[in-house]
Amino acid sequence: MDGKDVADHAVEYGDSLGADYVEARYIRSKDDNYITRNGKFLGIQKKESRGIGIRVLVDGCMGFGSTNSVNRKAVEDTIDSVVGMAKLSRRGTPIRLSDEKTVRTKWSVPVKRPFADVPEDEKRNYIKELDKSIKRAGKRTIKNRILFMNMNTADKYTTTSHGSRVRANTSLISIMTVMNARYKDRKEQKMVTLGSSSGWEWLKEENIMSELTGQGESLYKTVSYAKDHTFNRPMDVVVAGEVSGIMAHENVGHPSEGDRILGREAAQAGESFYSDILDENPQIGNEEVTIIDDPTLKGSPGYYRYDEECVKARPRYLIKNGRLNELLLNRECAYRFDKKSNASARSTSYSREPIPRMSNTFFEPGDHTKEELIEDVKNGILLNSFTEWNIDDRRFHSKYVGLEAYLIKNGEVTDTMVRRPVLELTTYGILRNVDAVSKEYESRMAPCGKSDPMQPIPVSVGGPHVRLRKVVVG
Amino acid sequence: MTDEELMKMAVDTALGQGAKEVIAQLIEEEEHQIRFSNSQTDIAKRWKRNYLDIFLTSGHPLSLGKKINTLTIHDPTPKKIKTQIPREVRVLRSLPKSKLYWGMDSASHSTYPSLKGLYDERIDEMPEEAPCIVDDTISASHEAGAKKVSGVLYFGKTNKGLLTSHGNGGVYRTSYCRATVRSFHDDNSSGQSLVVTRNLKDIDKKMMDAGSRAGRLAKRSAGGKEEKGGRYDLIMSPTVAGNIFGTLLSSANPIMMLGGMSCLKGKMDEQIGPDSLSVRDDPLVNDGMNSRPFDDEGTPSKRTPLIDEGVFSNLLHNTSTAKLWKLLNWIKLKFWIRPTTTSNSVLGQLGMTGSDDDPRTLLVGPSNYVFEPGTFTLNEMISSSKRPTIYMTSNWYTRFTNMREGKFSTVPRDAAFLIQDGEVKRPVRNLRLKGDLLKMCGDITGIGKDVRQIQWWEVSTPTFVPHIKVKDCTFTKAKS
Repeated sequence: MDGKDVADHAVEYGDSLGADYVEARYIRSKDDNYITRNGKFLGIQKKESRGIGIRVLVDGCMGFGSTNSVNRKAVEDTIDSVVGMAKLSRRGTPIRLSDEKTVRTKWSVPVKRPFADVPEDEKRNYIKELDKSIKRAGKRTIKNRILFMNMNTADKYTTTSHGSRVRANTSLISIMTVMNARYKDRKEQKMVTLGSSSGWEWLKEENIMSELTGQGESLYKTVSYAKDHTFNRPMDVVVAGEVSGIMAHENVGHPSEGDRILGREAAQAGESFYSDILDENPQIGNEEVTIIDDPTLKGSPGYYRYDEECVKARPRYLIKNGRLNELLLNRECAYRFDKKSNASARSTSYSREPIPRMSNTFFEPGDHTKEELIEDVKNGILLNSFTEWNIDDRRFHSKYVGLEAYLIKNGEVTDTMVRRPVLELTTYGILRNVDAVSKEYESRMAPCGKSDPMQPIPVSVGGPHVRLRKVVVG
Repeated sequence: MTDEELMKMAVDTALGQGAKEVIAQLIEEEEHQIRFSNSQTDIAKRWKRNYLDIFLTSGHPLSLGKKINTLTIHDPTPKKIKTQIPREVRVLRSLPKSKLYWGMDSASHSTYPSLKGLYDERIDEMPEEAPCIVDDTISASHEAGAKKVSGVLYFGKTNKGLLTSHGNGGVYRTSYCRATVRSFHDDNSSGQSLVVTRNLKDIDKKMMDAGSRAGRLAKRSAGGKEEKGGRYDLIMSPTVAGNIFGTLLSSANPIMMLGGMSCLKGKMDEQIGPDSLSVRDDPLVNDGMNSRPFDDEGTPSKRTPLIDEGVFSNLLHNTSTAKLWKLLNWIKLKFWIRPTTTSNSVLGQLGMTGSDDDPRTLLVGPSNYVFEPGTFTLNEMISSSKRPTIYMTSNWYTRFTNMREGKFSTVPRDAAFLIQDGEVKRPVRNLRLKGDLLKMCGDITGIGKDVRQIQWWEVSTPTFVPHIKVKDCTFTKAKS
């Protein structure tokens, strides 16, 4: 009996115990990891895992269980246990799921060159060459470089007692660099991750070597030339895609998650300031602000065609022209908001429950070029990248510390680099001061953390250049 | 086949195929979780896993770095061992040497420390009792002032077996229970409390007490106002101190130093805190969530002072990093520095995603951090605060500008209070603590008597820590 048959059996067995809903997910995944420090291998690791996760809804109470023993007996034992615990839960308000279309389909991440077809030497040489290239770009300042390259493929099969069955073959490649630079008594650090739902071809097609080498050059310039400035006054700020992406993610994506708004993440990732404004839906940003979460972007780190509850994916316009437009909803949250699911249910593993997550969240690109954004700034700052950041757990009071940053004077980016400028802004302070968005789009990947146990899920946090008028720079 | 026989088969198979050193670690675990919010249960979960981790090495004993490979066999059987291990030994031969691996503990250890309290038989009653315990916890919090209660209760048991090719290891079992209760008086007024223990005696009472504490804090934080940024003294609850000083302690790790992520680099034997500050890594501490008789190389557990009367005194090591550090010190002509393993070898994840599916390798990791208790009560810390002081009960989202320098900021979460003239004046909100780990350590002015074990979302290493007072801290707030 293979994993899919065991998953089908899990649904039948849960049904036979009287569960209102049963969902079983079988995942077999392979990871291929390469880790170097200064070009020397710390480890090359290959790992396979497989298991089944089962979610049941019994008398309005939810249960979830998983096992890495993929056989009938183990899943029956799991279901017996979680049904028993769910029945003891005694909720006042029963959990219900939104009605969704039943689907039976397959989807795959388009791959031209599967990781398994790439000779081992080619993989090893790539990461060693990348290290050399970053080292050269750092001109002896980047003395400590750690590179992680991960290739993950997964065969997933989800089946539900509502009749849906979705099979998916995914492929994700990512490279994370941790660069430590030192020049005289100054030290700077940069972590950057790029990734794509694709095969080995991504490295060449997107010229990843050049992109990451550019990150090394950026760090070299920052550690060598950036000087402390004290502003503490309102200034125009142009943020590049890396910074606009993290703002879209933290200040808009997270508060849009339905489970936060309903309080389900209260003891972990927190709640959402949206719960204060949902009824009146005020203008929370300027007309220029449209923020999208789109899982259907081919090649993106957060790409999927169907979510973990077998709902077809589509772009979600979280904010349209400065006004709340849509939340991120799985079936449980959709029912509570009297809506349909917009396919936001994701989980990181067979052993994790699906919950509302982002995919690829970004400011919708505008009509300007990035040069046009800068032309109209008399005195300001360009933030190409960031280092430290955080935000309160209702997602309103945020802080972003610039890494590669330049003064803008009379419409031109100057050679004067600013060391660690601070934007400590509320979400309104960001969204209500945006007056222009560029056409260009810059991609970054991040593992977005949420839930307990933590589910670090791949998302895209890039975007266009965005101009903020008159925000206080510290 | 017994666990011991299964591990022996794995080790013998690997050695027979040509591996030089082998670790077999057999884990059988069953964990449960109940998550609750809005004062009712959201989901009840159970995870069950059994797997065999195999760590394989090859290379001459004197070579600089050796080849390593790790394999996880899920739901292990003799057949899987016989087919998967030979394949991975063949892979091992084709791998380059790892600069992280220099050998494992080859001494023979016939005895290990005997630890009491690692396993509580009452764990088997928890799946049935836990839903009621959660209900009672929620009720207790409401009675103390909460309007809605959220949280998570974990409990579970693990059988762990270890056998190395040097004959070290053994089999032991553990159980645990830990919980976070976060209660709200209104959307912006919350309090949090934790339960972290292996001892299930009166677990219902411990949980209800946590619910009450969280409810009281939530009620007391109601009506909080935005406070202006500036310089304040700071009293950290054990939860906050566990996060901030736990991050400092995690820097006492050679792998963090190799990665350029440690602000303790170059600080060995320097005074980094007051004389009253002593912290150790302690795998033997009673009730410690990471207490254990041996580490993942089979080295008997022992205590390691990390900060001794304010002096940074040791790094944590496994056998590999101890050898590497010895060599690095020899290169610097410091022949008298001969570090040895501190029994902190862990088969941990060096992956980039933080996922359970990341592959494991032999790393250095802490067991439990244990602070020596100080002399202050919380009330004494408050009443002795003549300068404006912030009391933070919880925090989250600690992020670094640069881990090498230890510069960071973190966001106070849940109840925080302004103390003036030795009295709690009012709840405050929307501040951000901006700090420097080493400066804050040096600015400690008071250490509490009330050591508690902390482990939750923001503190992964179990940390026995009291309230800690730090002078002259910077708080900021959003400016637009």
